[in-house]
Amino acid sequence: MTRDLWKHLILIFGALIVIAPFYMMISYSFKSPGEIDRGEGGFFGRQEMMVDERCVKLRDPDRDDVATAAPRFPNQTDRQIRDALVAEAVADCQMRPIVFNYTKAFTEAPLLRYLLNGVIVTASIFLIQIVVALPAAYALAKLKFWGREAVFSIVLFCLLIPVHAIALPLYIMLAKVGLTNTYAALVVPWTISVFGIFLMRQFFMTVPDDLIDAARMDGMGELAIVWRVMLPTAIPALLAFAIFSVVAHWNDYFWPRIVVTGNRDLFTPPLGLREFKGDGDGSFFGPMMATATVIVTPLIVAFLVAQRRFIEGITLSGMK
Amino acid sequence: MADLQIDHVTKTFGDTQVLKGISLDIADGEFVSLVGPSGCGKSTLLRIIAGLESQSSGAIRIQGQDVSGVRAADRNLSMVFQSYALYPHLTVAENISVPLKMRQLSSLQRLPVIGAFMPGAHEKNAEIAASVKHAAQTLEIDRLLNRKPGQLSGGQRQRVALGRALVREPAAFLLDEPLSNLDAKLRVQTRTEIAELHRRLGATFVYVTHDQVEAMTMSSRIAVMMGGEILQCDVPDEVYNNPLDIRVAEFIGSPKINILPVEASNGGLRFGDVVLPTVAPKMLKGPIRIGLRPEGLRLAAEDAVLTGQVMHVENLGSEIFAQINLPGHDGRITMRASPAQRNSLHIGANIGLAFEGRAALLFDPNGKRVFNPQVDPVQSEVA
Repeated sequence: MTRDLWKHLILIFGALIVIAPFYMMISYSFKSPGEIDRGEGGFFGRQEMMVDERCVKLRDPDRDDVATAAPRFPNQTDRQIRDALVAEAVADCQMRPIVFNYTKAFTEAPLLRYLLNGVIVTASIFLIQIVVALPAAYALAKLKFWGREAVFSIVLFCLLIPVHAIALPLYIMLAKVGLTNTYAALVVPWTISVFGIFLMRQFFMTVPDDLIDAARMDGMGELAIVWRVMLPTAIPALLAFAIFSVVAHWNDYFWPRIVVTGNRDLFTPPLGLREFKGDGDGSFFGPMMATATVIVTPLIVAFLVAQRRFIEGITLSGMK
Repeated sequence: MADLQIDHVTKTFGDTQVLKGISLDIADGEFVSLVGPSGCGKSTLLRIIAGLESQSSGAIRIQGQDVSGVRAADRNLSMVFQSYALYPHLTVAENISVPLKMRQLSSLQRLPVIGAFMPGAHEKNAEIAASVKHAAQTLEIDRLLNRKPGQLSGGQRQRVALGRALVREPAAFLLDEPLSNLDAKLRVQTRTEIAELHRRLGATFVYVTHDQVEAMTMSSRIAVMMGGEILQCDVPDEVYNNPLDIRVAEFIGSPKINILPVEASNGGLRFGDVVLPTVAPKMLKGPIRIGLRPEGLRLAAEDAVLTGQVMHVENLGSEIFAQINLPGHDGRITMRASPAQRNSLHIGANIGLAFEGRAALLFDPNGKRVFNPQVDPVQSEVA
């Protein structure tokens, strides 16, 4: 009994450490800047009306504004009219912190465009990865050819190469062919996934040889076997790989930051976070965290939907 | 439908020779069983015929055509696997239709979704559906057509695998231990069904099994394989009654044949001190072995040749098998008796055994059959 208690305490502690940053992210996305600075307001903040200083500043009335507004304020001095206009602006720019943070997230930067870019890039990467990895994994798992083990060792070896080590040569190559600042630059370097080949190969090893022989007897060529037999049986493993691949490239900040150097139309969601980083006028933590929340939500939803099959895929128990 | 010729086929994996020059002619419409213990190379031979494995030397000819180097897909053979190897993601109907789809539809017509709208696809798909339905009716699985293999029992899966094989008309059917994953009762039933199917289709069947009962009951001819060779290939009767090799005699027949070491001299045989009623060829001298089928032995009183003690009795209802310990002999021998003789076969009883002289099969020290000129005049001339 006490042993179970300890086990659970330790696990809960671990879970809290993992959850803490997410808690902060979501909490900050609800709070006003003041509450974030002072670290008060609990999880939701007090949600008191706040004034968006930048909004007020943008509507600061000049001489023309005062002149056009004059008929609305008869018998008042310019000074009084100006004060009234400022007061109006302040009233208009009042809003709840949660509304402020999330509207900022979508208006300050074209977040929807970034999300669309994220979808285009991750989907292209994943599809091409499958097109490359499935035949390769099939060959490594089921075809007998000279040097197969050597090729597989090279594949394993490639798993050890960190992305950052080859980033510079990759960038130079892309720059030489003039592909920087294109979708291609975001997609092409990731189309051959060593991890995908490895994972699918391990799964294919569990597919009975008889099934492949039966397909051959039924008149299928090797490529037909890959797409008509192996692909459908490998759906659980593919889902597992999909999560790894999509999460990695959806969340990637490093590579888009390198190859997208000016064109904001190509920004992926993580690059969108940069819009709120603190320059001269201080950081916008609230909108920044709201953006972050918007970015991770699709992934979490996708995982929850595919959770059961995903775990099936990782444990590689698809076929019996 | 076609005949098959296996011509001096060898196969080596690394240093081990799995097949040592196999030759076998299979006539059109014949049911030939390749039977042998595991590791004898029978499955390898079947896979070589199928084109799933390539031979190291020799040739396979289908209707006179050498098919070496022809892909499995292009040999026009059907195969049923021990594990059934059904596509787990397809329904029964789709499983059975795969061989037809791969052969009759063009690659455009096979495309998912849009394939059905290609010119000519509609008629061909209708034809295929009709063939699938016909095959399913033949095997009485037409009610299962919309299920997935995971929802079927072992026997049903087995039928689907058969259906996938017979939906088109292949040159020959290859069956690789198709019954070994079924339970005993279903195995007996399916055995009959496959034999009947063979009669109805009149097609060439090559059937691999390690179960000699299956081979005996279904085949037109049995090829007994051991150690990468065919020891004997003949009709079931001959293989049982006239085994040419002691290994064949031991493998075929259940319970196993009794092998006794005997001494041959001057045309007579002695087991220990006992003179046996069997006549041996004059030139046969020294230690040889004889084989006695359990049904060749009978209980005897005065004219008993051998005496021994009953160690164990197996009562099968219609017949009884008694295991008897002979003094001066290491193993037990088995005798078949009728249920009427049960009372004299209680454990520990001392009994006498007799057999007809012609019931004993003689094997020389190398395990080759020796024909007795008096007992088997015809064979001894041939030999």
